[in-house]
Amino acid sequence: MVQVKKLKDGSRQIILTAQQFDEITKVLTELAAKTKASTILLADISGQLITQRGNTTDINTQVLSALAASDFAATSEMAKLIGEDAKFKLLFHEGEKRNVYLSNVGDSFFLVVVFDVSVTLGLVRIYTKKAILNLVEVFETSEQGDDAGSIIDQDFSSMLGDMLDDSFK
Amino acid sequence: MFINWALQEINLKIVYYGPGMSGKTSNLEYIHSKLDPSLTGELVTLKTKEDRTIFFDFMQIEVGRIKGKKPKFNLYTVPGQVYYASSRKIILNGVDGVVFVADSQKDRMEGNIETLLDLENNLMSMGYSLETFPWVIQFNKRDLPNTESMEMLQKKLNFFNVPQFEAVAIKGTGVFDTLKSIINLVVRHVQQQL
Repeated sequence: MVQVKKLKDGSRQIILTAQQFDEITKVLTELAAKTKASTILLADISGQLITQRGNTTDINTQVLSALAASDFAATSEMAKLIGEDAKFKLLFHEGEKRNVYLSNVGDSFFLVVVFDVSVTLGLVRIYTKKAILNLVEVFETSEQGDDAGSIIDQDFSSMLGDMLDDSFK
Repeated sequence: MFINWALQEINLKIVYYGPGMSGKTSNLEYIHSKLDPSLTGELVTLKTKEDRTIFFDFMQIEVGRIKGKKPKFNLYTVPGQVYYASSRKIILNGVDGVVFVADSQKDRMEGNIETLLDLENNLMSMGYSLETFPWVIQFNKRDLPNTESMEMLQKKLNFFNVPQFEAVAIKGTGVFDTLKSIINLVVRHVQQQL
């Protein structure tokens, strides 16, 4: 499955392998085709964008996923306040030209589907539900990737230090 | 931390935390104004009409590729006012490092301490602790007349002896030193945890 590592201090590290990434991209491409969604994003609950499909040039998708993650987290708190045991599974924002449909994918990820108002919500719901099942399956395939230790070594830290000095002149 | 092997990306989340009006947004605004536009994304600020942060500010910075990998840093601020407690907790979701921006003015000491306790509580609810979590402290507004001495600030707020910086965020003094320090700390912390 997607490696969600608990580190010694309790912090969380998520690692996605290249193969999982390809399969996720495939699922999102199919979802985009079926729903005619203008933009689809997959992000993790901390707001980090994982991958995107559709029109992503006119929209700052990095910001969109950060906002969507907070949107999700805020409604989870709302759920708690009104006595819901679980968090809300989906959010829907209705606009004049476009709608946004957000749905969680397991506990760690969520999907953002932006679509034209001419597309019916029911259609988006059905295909998103199917895509989520496929995504959960991809996340559960057991394939081990390299861990962060193979990238973030001593060398990496000192080179990063130099680059920060360069950038922050 | 989120690693995407297909894109060779390493994403880290850094949160600027501190009491209301301590200068968290000013830190981000300065970084955004000084960095080469190719390295930074849009600075998004969710403000009330009085110019106070209502939910968070966000921007992403990159420094290019290192050994083929692309580190990306997602910087967030939290709203400082006491009544936005649940918003602050939300923003801490998945955090890798914290910059605590303290207000050096004498009459703001209570607010600093209160917010630091709030940070500790929120970290603890996520299973972390200020004692082991990567964080640095920035003593901001050093240019104002009624500031507390550095000795006093350190004694009252920096009890775990984390890296500390004097700053005047609106002028940029200390801003990059603080950012560099937290990035280094987070990266070193990741190494130690493996």
